[in-house]
Amino acid sequence: MEETSNFVRIRRGLTLPLLLLVAWEASSRFGLVDIRFLPPIEDVILTAKQEIIDNGLVGQLGSSLLRNIAGFLIGAVLGIGFGTLLAVVNIADRLIMPTFNGIKQISLLAWIPLISVWFGFAEQAKIVFVALAAFIPIALNTHDGIKDAPRELVEVGRALCFNSWQRISRIYLPVALPSIATGIHLGLIYSWLATVGAEYFLAVGPGIGGLVIAGRERFDMALVMVGVIILGIVGFAFNRLAGAAERRLLRWRE
Amino acid sequence: MILLTERLTERPGMAIDIEFEGQARRRNWSQHPAIRWVRRGEAFLFPVGLIALWWIASARGWLPEQILPAPAYVVATGRDMISTGELFYHAGVSLRRVVFGFAIGASLGMVLGIAIGLSRRFEDYVKPVFLAFAQIPTLGWIPLLMLLVGIEETLKIIIIAKSALVPVTLNTFSGIRSVPAKYLEVGRALRFSRWQTLRLIILPSAVPSIFTGIRYGLTHAWTSLVGVELLASSEGLGYLLVWGRQMFWLDTVIIAMVVIGIIGFAMDRGLEASEVLIRRWKRQAED
Amino acid sequence: MKRITFTRLAAGLAILLAATATSARAEDQLVIHVGYAAIGIDNRPYSEGTSAATARAGEFLEKEFANDPNIKIEWTFFKGAGPAVNEGFANDQLDFAYQGDLPALIGRATGLKTKYLLASGARKPLYLAVAKDSGIKSIEDLKGRKIALQRGTNGHLAAIKILEAHGLTERDVQVVNLDSAGTVAALTSKDINAAFGDTQLINLAAKGAADVIYTTKGDDPRFGRNAGIIGREAFIDAHPEITQRVVDAFVKAAKWSSDEPNRAALFELWHKSGTAIPILDEYFKGDTLAYRNSPLIDDLLVSQYTEQAAKSKEFGLIRRDVDLKGWFEPKYLDNAIERLGFKNFWQAYGADGKPVAS
Repeated sequence: MEETSNFVRIRRGLTLPLLLLVAWEASSRFGLVDIRFLPPIEDVILTAKQEIIDNGLVGQLGSSLLRNIAGFLIGAVLGIGFGTLLAVVNIADRLIMPTFNGIKQISLLAWIPLISVWFGFAEQAKIVFVALAAFIPIALNTHDGIKDAPRELVEVGRALCFNSWQRISRIYLPVALPSIATGIHLGLIYSWLATVGAEYFLAVGPGIGGLVIAGRERFDMALVMVGVIILGIVGFAFNRLAGAAERRLLRWRE
Repeated sequence: MILLTERLTERPGMAIDIEFEGQARRRNWSQHPAIRWVRRGEAFLFPVGLIALWWIASARGWLPEQILPAPAYVVATGRDMISTGELFYHAGVSLRRVVFGFAIGASLGMVLGIAIGLSRRFEDYVKPVFLAFAQIPTLGWIPLLMLLVGIEETLKIIIIAKSALVPVTLNTFSGIRSVPAKYLEVGRALRFSRWQTLRLIILPSAVPSIFTGIRYGLTHAWTSLVGVELLASSEGLGYLLVWGRQMFWLDTVIIAMVVIGIIGFAMDRGLEASEVLIRRWKRQAED
Repeated sequence: MKRITFTRLAAGLAILLAATATSARAEDQLVIHVGYAAIGIDNRPYSEGTSAATARAGEFLEKEFANDPNIKIEWTFFKGAGPAVNEGFANDQLDFAYQGDLPALIGRATGLKTKYLLASGARKPLYLAVAKDSGIKSIEDLKGRKIALQRGTNGHLAAIKILEAHGLTERDVQVVNLDSAGTVAALTSKDINAAFGDTQLINLAAKGAADVIYTTKGDDPRFGRNAGIIGREAFIDAHPEITQRVVDAFVKAAKWSSDEPNRAALFELWHKSGTAIPILDEYFKGDTLAYRNSPLIDDLLVSQYTEQAAKSKEFGLIRRDVDLKGWFEPKYLDNAIERLGFKNFWQAYGADGKPVAS
């Protein structure tokens, strides 16, 4: 295979998006598709502007993100703690892990009715849900990461007469760091999903999820598209953030 | 670990690799029959203890019964739902949707993944747009699609297919790309045609990755199903959840959750078993 | 190096806990949490058609407590209607709420400790709208079709009673659980064939997007829906004087909503929810304001609720017997009517539906 220059690759990468945009504009110019299904690009941009200026879109996004981060932090701290506890205390591991493995099979969204009844309609219900979403992958990955610690290192700890705290902080956690990093990556992604889910299914409040639902109820495809695009951008940003956080954590280990 | 981490940073949604690898490694020394029996018993201690605590809590009224229905009540409702066939009906509807949607999404995903993997050209053209679409969470697609196709079966199938498509595509692509160079050289030395190279070298080597993608895709598909059914459905397990919530029947909610968990677990185990079988068969073929 | 990780984590956690703690510490202030089992168009925090909606739009509660700097009123409107209000009561997040008969009964049946304080939005009609070209002309035609209902609301119960009167059960139709806005969207796009609902359906018909083929208005009064102001027992016991003042405010709102000269102004006020005034005209056509907005807990109301309880159990909506003894708490209402001088303003009705001589 010949080496294709970066320039050529970028050019190729832009072809399809540009074609799609052209097709989109053409369809609204020439009325090829019902504008209820595909509003003109201009409408989408206008709607976006309107939302930002009149309806405090930035504020809504901020609320979503705040909820996300709060829930994520709680879930992460609890997850690392729980995962470490189970991995280090053998009895706890044998007793509790199977149940945890069972519980993790229950799809995240299936928890919504239960959380709604147990925590009501305020912010706390949404934060609990987001925390749960982050907790599960982080706990699992922390646990697995520590469990996979090579025997020799554990031996070293015993030889140096480390107490439990030292063993955890000096050996287990550093060794498990790659796994924990993966867990955090997953946790960030899932907590964003849960944030959007919470806005769909648990009471009305500020947030991008609410925007999308409102758009759908009003048959305002332009608004829905604005919301979806923002969701995509934030999703992308979170992915990048998660990847960067992961790399940072790994570099720390060195 | 390092290799996988490297793959992670450029591709979202691949991370599940590590979770499965870790579990596979640990399973080896616990295969002794005696230990297995003890283990089996142990696993139930904690849940039984929790249920006992639950029973005491509801009998003593520590928590109001809207928040914690009596376990006997949940069991009775469960029995009712099974005997009237209601539970099987709704579970069946959900399963049918997932199987159908997943089949479509996974096959499309494999084809797409192979195409992107084989041709750099195709990758350059298609991957950016694909990744952009993949960034949008499935939940975000649901209202959009509702406006386009309504709230019928089509909506559910499309959503499920989409959530399966992304991880399958990504993992298939990665599997195709990571065929070791020396295998390809063997193929070149034996003068394989493109089709033979694909069939005899590339695909078999990519199978583990494809399988990872399939497992991840199925999990996602099952989760999206619950999401769609929560938003707009007249039957299915998600519908049961909504019904239970509206009527304040927490027992129905719990039963639906348990069934969702069991089916999710069964599907995952089923795939894991087939993966093991395929690996064994692959190893035999290699010998 | 590792220690830094922990201090950072600990600090983060501490900040989070502190943040949640300070928000809970504004305790010298008493916040009265009032819920409403509906929501306006585009999620506006207003509603229409009831004296409770008047109380909200006209700020009757806020005015009642205007001279108490330590008392704040917080309204919450629920897309999830009555069932969502129950979740709020179950978590002590609501102190008072406007809620329909079925969800209030469901709440009581599952052990929620509440009291029924006064009627509001009682004797509301229910409407049945069908999608364009659905071919449904009568209720019997609904068999096997896709119908939107919001489960667990008083509309749900009324719908089942109507179906029963026409020989159908809930299982004879395909029920899609949708809230008010979802119903409007689904009917417009013909994703469902029919829907039971309220003013939003009249609105849809007025726009030509659907047809209303039936309403309980003019039919047997037993088909009507009931609702009222429910209070959380723990709050009432802890703050009886405040409860009395809250009831006072609601009664004042009910009085204002029952004065015929106020009709135009009333609809204007209710318009804050986004519902157009002609729709409200239609909604109240043929009814006196006093009939619809009466707060009285008379024999008709009590017998209606008793019947709803029995019917709910019969339809399997509630799974145990509901004991209504001690649930109705008219003393605050009677007190308010006495002090405010509204005695004999509203007509009480007997269990047979006939006016009671006063």
